[in-house]
Amino acid sequence: MQSFDCAIVGAGPAGMSAALTLAERGLRIAVLDRGQRAGGQIYRSASQSPLPDASVLGPDYTKGADLIARFEKADVTHLSGADAWHLGDDGRILFSQDHSTHELHCREMLLCPGAMERPMPIPGWTLPGVMTAGATQVMLKSDATVADGAVFAGSGPLLYLIVAQYLRLGVPIAAVVDTTPKDNYLASAPLLPRALKQARQLAKGLGLLNEIRRSGVPVFRFASKLQVLGRETAEGLRFDAGGKTHDIAAETVFLHHGVQPNLNMTRAMELDHMWNAQQLCWQVVTDPFGQSSVPHVSVAGDGGGIIGADGACLAGQLAALNSLYRLNRITLAQRDTEAASPLAELASMAPFRAFVDRLYRPAEALRLPQEDDTLVCRCEEQTRRDLRRGFDLGARDPNALKSLTRCGMGPCQGRQCGHIVAGLLSDWRGDSAEDTGYYRLRSPQRLLTLEELSRFDHVTPTQALPTRQQNEAPE
Amino acid sequence: MFRSLRPDGADDVTLTLNGQQITVPAGQSVWSAIALAGQPITRRAALSGAPRSAYCAMGVCFECMMEINGVPNQQACLRQVEPGMTINTQTILEDSRITDAEL
Ligand SMILES: Cc1cc2nc3c(=O)[nH]c(=O)nc-3n(C[C@H](O)[C@@H](O)[C@H](O)COP(=O)(O)OP(=O)(O)OC[C@H]3O[C@@H](n4cnc5c(N)ncnc54)[C@H](O)[C@@H]3O)c2cc1C
Ligand code: FES
Repeated sequence: MQSFDCAIVGAGPAGMSAALTLAERGLRIAVLDRGQRAGGQIYRSASQSPLPDASVLGPDYTKGADLIARFEKADVTHLSGADAWHLGDDGRILFSQDHSTHELHCREMLLCPGAMERPMPIPGWTLPGVMTAGATQVMLKSDATVADGAVFAGSGPLLYLIVAQYLRLGVPIAAVVDTTPKDNYLASAPLLPRALKQARQLAKGLGLLNEIRRSGVPVFRFASKLQVLGRETAEGLRFDAGGKTHDIAAETVFLHHGVQPNLNMTRAMELDHMWNAQQLCWQVVTDPFGQSSVPHVSVAGDGGGIIGADGACLAGQLAALNSLYRLNRITLAQRDTEAASPLAELASMAPFRAFVDRLYRPAEALRLPQEDDTLVCRCEEQTRRDLRRGFDLGARDPNALKSLTRCGMGPCQGRQCGHIVAGLLSDWRGDSAEDTGYYRLRSPQRLLTLEELSRFDHVTPTQALPTRQQNEAPE
Repeated sequence: MFRSLRPDGADDVTLTLNGQQITVPAGQSVWSAIALAGQPITRRAALSGAPRSAYCAMGVCFECMMEINGVPNQQACLRQVEPGMTINTQTILEDSRITDAEL
């Protein structure tokens, strides 16, 4: 069967940049994304915003429209609404699109699945009305839908950005509950001088904090002991701050304390992973070009370790250059010459990233649940107590605990509880994250219906062309 | 309370949510549509039957699984509304659930 030279999963900044670099050299490329439009998380709907004025989202968002436009013009087979659920190291990809199953083959595979938000397992986090702050932003960008009178709780640049976006739109906010621990300011201070080289980034961050301060929205700093109030749905947030316990009434509570790589795809492929102690999450082991432990499989962008959108674009270019070399389109010397500038730019971002990672390192008590009754596995409704019981019965690693308690066996396949379960076990054992390990995952990476499986076809480069033109047609 | 920032009445679509007709702006996710309709419960938890609603809105938590046009386990945050769609709160409890392991 005819195969693609390269298949890219994910049309965010990483995937789009890689596709552009490859398409310039005339390669046959397929780009799959489960979204209807290219853009990924940061540039979601940037080419076609439903908002009356998208500029309130900021220049970092609106500049995405340009990248998307270039991507859509490129000679690329863009498979939109395509959810990849099996990726084989034989170059085979199975995906669902329009309620049917499709298969394609590729020589090089580039995974750009992006990040997801770090779950915040506090009491009451499963109540309807509790969402991640990123979810708020998804609803805003794609659906022009907002929630009035919400509480935003947590820490980190993305939280402040979303709060600022709400403020610019005049959406009322009940309170901002900042959980950045006091100690983090001290611990991150030595990293500040080197981070100052990226003064523009720092100014942007401070600008957001100023916007929030000037708005008059109540801000509670150094908050701890968060708990969502309510029986059937969220009714408010309780927390300690300034030596007092506060109750803020709200129907919606938005939580955020950073992002982590979306691991299920890279884990199911059994690529080598390592623990990132700076960002407190697992990530894929790669060389500077994103090449994984399986030579024809590369990873770029936040899916391979959190580097942000600009970093994701550079990583996409680097992975593409490496694929061009591996496919004999350029020499090693050409690869390295062209890679010099993106590599240097990526390296120059590291000090600022290190500073931000340390400053906004999530509080331990919010990363791992402290109370016995708090649900850890949302799907199978396993509490911290249930898991501890499993541990006491002898389940010492995430897979043993999974067999015993069913944690991680529900429809989300451990996406939400994976890091929490591994973190609790590592604490209980008194062992490192590496020694404790992570869930073993396999395909399919989503729930499938038999009907969907019964409708099956192959996608090849020539046959795929009409799909691309169809996608390009104005709606 | 969720609210749409789009101008009223532009390209509305009508759907049936738990037997009731609702009208929402076109081009929305099913999740946003039910949130705007003031009925954000997507499913009942498989063991306790506790009400659940969307958590991530980007496809990674599976809290938004609903029965859409008769098919269960559909992620409402990843589906776009279509005119005439039938959406129901999902109430599949543990003993009646089909898991991917059976497929
Ligand atoms: C909810 C959310 C909101 C964010 N908002 C911002 C922001 O406003 N500003 C900012 O600077 N950073 C933001 N980020 C951080 C984000 O990670 C960016 O740094 C950037 O989008 C990363 O680019 P990427 O190309 O690596 O991945 P992404 O942009 O995340 O793109 C990954 C793409 O892969 C697709 N995908 C994943 N799995 C599959 C699969 N199995 N099959 C098919 N397609 C798949 C997804 O649909 C997505 O489009 C956000 C992160 C999240 C989680
Ligand atoms: S809300 Fe998380 S998967 Fe839909």
